[in-house]
Amino acid sequence: MRRMLRLFLPLTIVAATLVTAMIAAPPGFGIHPPDGIAEATAMLQKTAVIAALLAVWMIVAVSLTLLSGREIRYSSVEMRASALHCFALGLVAVTSFALTAIVFSYLIPYHVGLPLLFALGVFAILTKIYGLVAVFHAIGTLVAGSRTREQLNRRNWLRGDLAMVVIGVVVLGAIRLIPIVGPIVWGFASVFGIGTALATKFGRREPWFLAYRLHLS
Amino acid sequence: MTDTECQRYLEDPEANAAHLQSCAECRAVSAALAEKSDVEPASIDVDALPLAPWEGSSHRPWPLVLGITAVVVAVALALCDAAGLSPLHVAESSLTSMEAMRGLIDRATASLRAASLVWQIAFGVAFLIVNALLIVLLRRSPRGIDA
Repeated sequence: MRRMLRLFLPLTIVAATLVTAMIAAPPGFGIHPPDGIAEATAMLQKTAVIAALLAVWMIVAVSLTLLSGREIRYSSVEMRASALHCFALGLVAVTSFALTAIVFSYLIPYHVGLPLLFALGVFAILTKIYGLVAVFHAIGTLVAGSRTREQLNRRNWLRGDLAMVVIGVVVLGAIRLIPIVGPIVWGFASVFGIGTALATKFGRREPWFLAYRLHLS
Repeated sequence: MTDTECQRYLEDPEANAAHLQSCAECRAVSAALAEKSDVEPASIDVDALPLAPWEGSSHRPWPLVLGITAVVVAVALALCDAAGLSPLHVAESSLTSMEAMRGLIDRATASLRAASLVWQIAFGVAFLIVNALLIVLLRRSPRGIDA
């Protein structure tokens, strides 16, 4: 069973990645310059909205790291230690959120659907926010993290959780501004983040479920 | 000096300390152990150990953080100004994407209601399988090194 899962999981991930890429990618891959003033204005507005959202992400990331830096670091370490598991968990969790949202939406006429849908939405948004901040930390550490203790001691600015998160936001934000590639990379980062947040239980590294053991005497 | 007395001493050396005066063999064992316990452990070169994730993590380089945040906010404000957008418009656009997602879920729910019983059962089975897989993946304990 375990061996079958090991074979089945990578295949599922590759298939799901291809399907996600096919859905996410726009029909035409060619990047073309804007045709007129109206299209140029629309592009500028789009870039402005993305930049404004990145600024919001920066403030959220700094605040969250100040509040719970250790948890963010735990999640970041977990993501780098078992990336494939986090990605698989993220894909499954996103699918589960979508299917559960449809089920709760189906239950709206029976009065229980709306509060459940609201709770699911809040949980999903919080998971994504926390997870993406962990992704920022992981990217910052990969790009600018100290490799040796000597390097760490020599640095005055590029050290600490806060610096890593800020560097991560800048790197991922710069990629986000690239047309076509940006949204896809951001989407993958979100999937990674959701997987990491759930895998580490928001950095607390506690089990989600209690283990029951039969005591036979 | 019988084997029984030696055994009793080895089981509880403190309670049977008097046995050492009468047994040369146990005295030799005790002296050897005392010599070994005096040996200092090998010194560890801390710098040769790999860097732990928590080392230097509490450092807060405020000039870097505030500087980069200020630059990002300034660029965003400048772009919004150039595009003629207000912060309210940005919030509206992010709400629009949420609304689009809500619309997608509503359409899927309407399709599910209109679908035949077989499709509804198939959806239920898919829902159960995906959530079972989620639970299986959630049961795995984190593997990351201690941070």
